[in-house]
Amino acid sequence: MAAPPTSEEVTNGAEPPSGDEGATGAAPVTPRPRHARSEGAKAHGLLGPTTIWLTLFLLAPLVIVIWYSVGTRGVINPVQHPGGKLNWSNFSRALDPSFLPIFIRTVAYAAATTVASLILGFPLAYVIARFGGTWKNVLLGLIILPFWTSYLVRMYAWRFILDENGLANTVLGSLGLGRNHQFTNTHWAVVLGLTYGFLPFMVLPLYASLERMDAGLIEAAYDLGSNRFSTFWRITFRTSLPGVVAGVLLTFIPALGDFVTPQLLGGTRTQTFGSTIQDQFGQGQNWPLGSAMAVLLMAFILVGVFVYTSRVGEDVL
Amino acid sequence: MTEEHDNVRVAFLWDPTSPRWSRRRFLQTMGFMAAAGAAGTSCGGGGGSSGSGPEAKRLNFYNWTDYIAESTIPGFTKATGIKVTYDNYSSNDDLFAKIRQGGTGYDLIVPTDNFVVKMIDGGLLEKLDLSKIPNVKNLDPRFRTAAFDPGNRYSIPWQWGTTGIGYDPDAVGSRVDDWTGFDLPAVKGRSSFLDEARDAFGMAMYALGKDPNSTAAGDIEAARKYLIALKKKVKQITSDYQDPLKSGGLILAQAYSGDVFQVQAENKKVQYVIPKSGAFQWVDSLCIPKGAKHPGNAHKFMNYILEPKVGAALTNYVQYGTPNKAALPFVDKAVKDNPLIMPPADVLAELKFQKPLGEAELKIADAWTSVKTS
Repeated sequence: MAAPPTSEEVTNGAEPPSGDEGATGAAPVTPRPRHARSEGAKAHGLLGPTTIWLTLFLLAPLVIVIWYSVGTRGVINPVQHPGGKLNWSNFSRALDPSFLPIFIRTVAYAAATTVASLILGFPLAYVIARFGGTWKNVLLGLIILPFWTSYLVRMYAWRFILDENGLANTVLGSLGLGRNHQFTNTHWAVVLGLTYGFLPFMVLPLYASLERMDAGLIEAAYDLGSNRFSTFWRITFRTSLPGVVAGVLLTFIPALGDFVTPQLLGGTRTQTFGSTIQDQFGQGQNWPLGSAMAVLLMAFILVGVFVYTSRVGEDVL
Repeated sequence: MTEEHDNVRVAFLWDPTSPRWSRRRFLQTMGFMAAAGAAGTSCGGGGGSSGSGPEAKRLNFYNWTDYIAESTIPGFTKATGIKVTYDNYSSNDDLFAKIRQGGTGYDLIVPTDNFVVKMIDGGLLEKLDLSKIPNVKNLDPRFRTAAFDPGNRYSIPWQWGTTGIGYDPDAVGSRVDDWTGFDLPAVKGRSSFLDEARDAFGMAMYALGKDPNSTAAGDIEAARKYLIALKKKVKQITSDYQDPLKSGGLILAQAYSGDVFQVQAENKKVQYVIPKSGAFQWVDSLCIPKGAKHPGNAHKFMNYILEPKVGAALTNYVQYGTPNKAALPFVDKAVKDNPLIMPPADVLAELKFQKPLGEAELKIADAWTSVKTS
């Protein structure tokens, strides 16, 4: 499918941290001018393959999406630029108020997913980091294990579980709790699917920051008369904040662009912004509008990430 | 020249009609093709179907899901020694978008009649050399003169069918004979209609007693309102209804005929009906995309599928109508005599094809977006 604005790209597009690291690596501070040139050359050499990769597979598709977003649709040729004219009306259509409820719903799904992942992921990451011992790597492996199966297949599995005649209803029925529960086709099903799918993205950065935490800090806090709650809040949680920030970004952004989950677990009332974009490249037959919506979503995420990291991130990262 | 280049364009980054870019784009495209194609690239620009050099014994076949007999491909390989790579798609739009971009590497595709027209108009198909398909004489005459491709210049019909309703009478609580089946109380929240704009709008137009191919603004608006109201009653808008229909997740669905008979094989309760206020009929046809590397093998496959017994095996398996008249003696009696699989001529005369609507299709597409986002 030739739909460029997938969640993956949105994710990649809004990942300034890696880009920043690259930039600092490429511009070495020069205490010893003699070596500066060769060091710089080395850095450039190291970044070469990455640069080529990102240019080809990140920048070029991005430019195409932006170029499409100012195009004119057609029946045979889906995007045209007659006479080289740029058609900005796609953006005013993309901002049409009729899409607003869908956009709000999408943000709500992503926010609920992020909160649920944080609530579920934090204790998990904490326990593995603090008490995992020799089992740490095995436990982490188990968290990554679902990635061995395609996301799509796992969503189909959830549908199998949640359907009218699915596993959940069968089990509840045999327990005498009724077997006619409507699980699919609900907002809850979508949030459940998204949370299940993106939980590892929350757990891994949380684990990374909790694992580095000095256990002595906790003892020190107790020694200084801090109770359990305030120790957790002021020591454990604060130290884990970089992980929380990263986890929130890694969960919220892909959840915002997802269109597979609502399609499989949702119904007619769970259309998301992502699925609306996808539709424009299929039955909606409006690639320019779809591209404009994708560009706006990316802009929204970029601004959001910028505000988020500058507000929250400054004292944390 | 320019025309040929357009057909193999990888991406339309530039205005395709601008000659300024064509040479450069051509080189880039060729570079891409060379890299992608590795072995056995035929002449640049897409060649012809005449197939001058010897072709590798390969065939890349791109077909709808669940739309082939288990014996079809092994039988072809056995008969010709040609190895087949078989991939699937699930919507004409996906297929069209891919073929439109070119460079897919597929030699054989199966678009529906209105998309065959669209692809011919867009110059996306190779012309067929019927001298290499002697079995074309086996086709039912109505498929030799079909309006979407009279004389089979570009397409050989694969299977045909209708778009009606699949349902479980027990769960629904009564027989269903029209689109009003969606209104039955037992069906609420347990039905679906197709995630295909033209199929959905055709259904709405039929239900409203209008021409299903109407492009009148008033009709489209009325159909849009009908679908928005219908959306509140159904569980899903989906083309992926076979499994739910089998398991009971859906008890009524707008569906393609053969799909429902495939479901029936595993869930005997499920029935198919052609709604009495009308439904679409359609034909899916084998076509060769422009620039295919194994057009000769594709012709061989077309000729092979038109063999009476091969065509009959296909129809017996997928339970759609066969366009192959010579195959009929070998088609199972249960399939042949089922008026829902192969409706008699007088019923067929009432069922319309989806007309290609040109620019007006975009009006329906917009109305569809409005339905989906309502």
